[in-house]
Amino acid sequence: MRSLLKVEWLKIKKYPAFWWMLLIVTFTYPGTTLLSYYAYTKSIRGKEMTNTIAKMLLGNPFAFPETWHSVAYLSSFFILIPSLLVIMLVTNEYMFKTQRQNIIDGWSRAQFVTSKLADVIIISLVCTIMYTAVAAGIGIYSDPDNIGRWMEQLQFIPLFFLQTFAQLSLAFLLGFLIKKAFIALGIFLFYNLIVENIAVGYAKFNLKDIGKFLPFEISDRIIPMPAFMNRFGKEMKEAYEKAIDAIPEHVLYTFLLTIAVWALCYYLHKRRDL
Amino acid sequence: MQTVLSLNNVSKSYGSIQALKNVSFKVPEGAVFGLLGPNGSGKTTMLSIILDILKADAGSFEWFNQPGSPATRKKIGSLLETPNFYHYLSAVDNLKITQAINGRGNNESIDQALGQVKLLERKKSKFSSFSLGMKQRLAIGAALLGNPDVLLFDEPTNGLDPVGIAEIRTLIKELSKQGKTIIMASHLLDEVEKVCTHVAIMKRGVLITAGPVEEVLAQEDIIEVAAQDLKALQLVLTNFPGISSIKHNEHSVSVFFPAGAAQPEAINQYCFNHGVVINQLIPRKKSLETKFFELTND
Repeated sequence: MRSLLKVEWLKIKKYPAFWWMLLIVTFTYPGTTLLSYYAYTKSIRGKEMTNTIAKMLLGNPFAFPETWHSVAYLSSFFILIPSLLVIMLVTNEYMFKTQRQNIIDGWSRAQFVTSKLADVIIISLVCTIMYTAVAAGIGIYSDPDNIGRWMEQLQFIPLFFLQTFAQLSLAFLLGFLIKKAFIALGIFLFYNLIVENIAVGYAKFNLKDIGKFLPFEISDRIIPMPAFMNRFGKEMKEAYEKAIDAIPEHVLYTFLLTIAVWALCYYLHKRRDL
Repeated sequence: MQTVLSLNNVSKSYGSIQALKNVSFKVPEGAVFGLLGPNGSGKTTMLSIILDILKADAGSFEWFNQPGSPATRKKIGSLLETPNFYHYLSAVDNLKITQAINGRGNNESIDQALGQVKLLERKKSKFSSFSLGMKQRLAIGAALLGNPDVLLFDEPTNGLDPVGIAEIRTLIKELSKQGKTIIMASHLLDEVEKVCTHVAIMKRGVLITAGPVEEVLAQEDIIEVAAQDLKALQLVLTNFPGISSIKHNEHSVSVFFPAGAAQPEAINQYCFNHGVVINQLIPRKKSLETKFFELTND
């Protein structure tokens, strides 16, 4: 395993797209969080009645322990950036034919897939570390009085990792099957941003919510909307509670789907002509 | 002598096209084994199978008397079809990856391999900045990395200039002297004839012949004869006992005999006795090129 990681590190460390991704993630995670925080502070500042209501309704979503949940939810929108990197990393191997050379030089076919699995885990970890740092940072900054509560709701850190890993695994699968970077990227963006959102929305009202079983939605639901959403009336409260209750179920689905994705990759790579 | 590689009835189809049909042969240790065949005859398919890039439909192969595995591949320096490297990495960084995978050699072996293929000065340049010939050199360097005992080259002189081709020829001869086993696919028959000890010829997925070069080439003796009156000479020789065929050339006549049956003195005597004085008589070995065309022509 160490030797696989060494090889992957040699491939990644001088790959510009990797550092670009890191840079962009370094800016987007705190950037979005700060923007949202700015919008929040603006809405509660002032002495108008609406400001007071806003404060009552929203609480402080950026204080500990709420910050773990809110920042996870905000950051999860930016799965696209690391997804692009994951797709590039696998389609590069096809473009350069190095997926063949790695085998010729002495890897087994399973080792090749394991090396890519390691890439996806590492990228997911990088994202999770960034998210954790941002959530902790804004928690400390926005409400120093609540720092003592940092240990609550820590489950959102592993949940964020799981969601990132599951969604990047789907991106990997697309790159792995389609082999061409731009086609894979195109399908990924079109499906993730448009098709699935429409399908989930439609299914929610017309098809008994079977949209929850769509590949990205399965893991989207392990980090539901932030807690303040439950303060907007009875219906919202019910929906929020239902979403929170469904987390364990979706964690299970996510595990199953992700295991299936990788099992398929191992199976195909073992049998097919390279 | 030990067998380095053996193939047993290997077959492979791409849809309805059968690329390999029951190919079997053995490569002995220390051989320079030339694999010949026209485009599309199945050479690369065969090499891909023994490197586990393609899966055979039937049959098996063994490296060092063991079924092919990652461990056996690590012992073989291979260049298959095209130079496959990470475009954004330098020559050195690419070879570091090769080395991290196959575990051959140490830090110095990278420079040594680059030196062997004359890329030391460009070792820090990105692969994407290399010319076709330099890419090919790097691929040969990667195969040489860590001094493996078995080398497999698929068209090693692709894209090289005449000097480069001569260098590779010298390199292969040198490696062969060191006792290395070299398996080489090539179109350049002249090259193969100059460096190979063994040869296999393929055509449309079928192995037509395989064995030591002398055996493959020496199935016939050829004697080239010339005289002032070529017509008379040909007429006389047609009745010479023991010949298998006769061919009229522009300035000579080629007489073919079964292997080992030609006797130049007897021909000379026979012609003189029949009133034709010979002015040229050369025993010839069949060139690989002639043999190749003969075997692969329809």
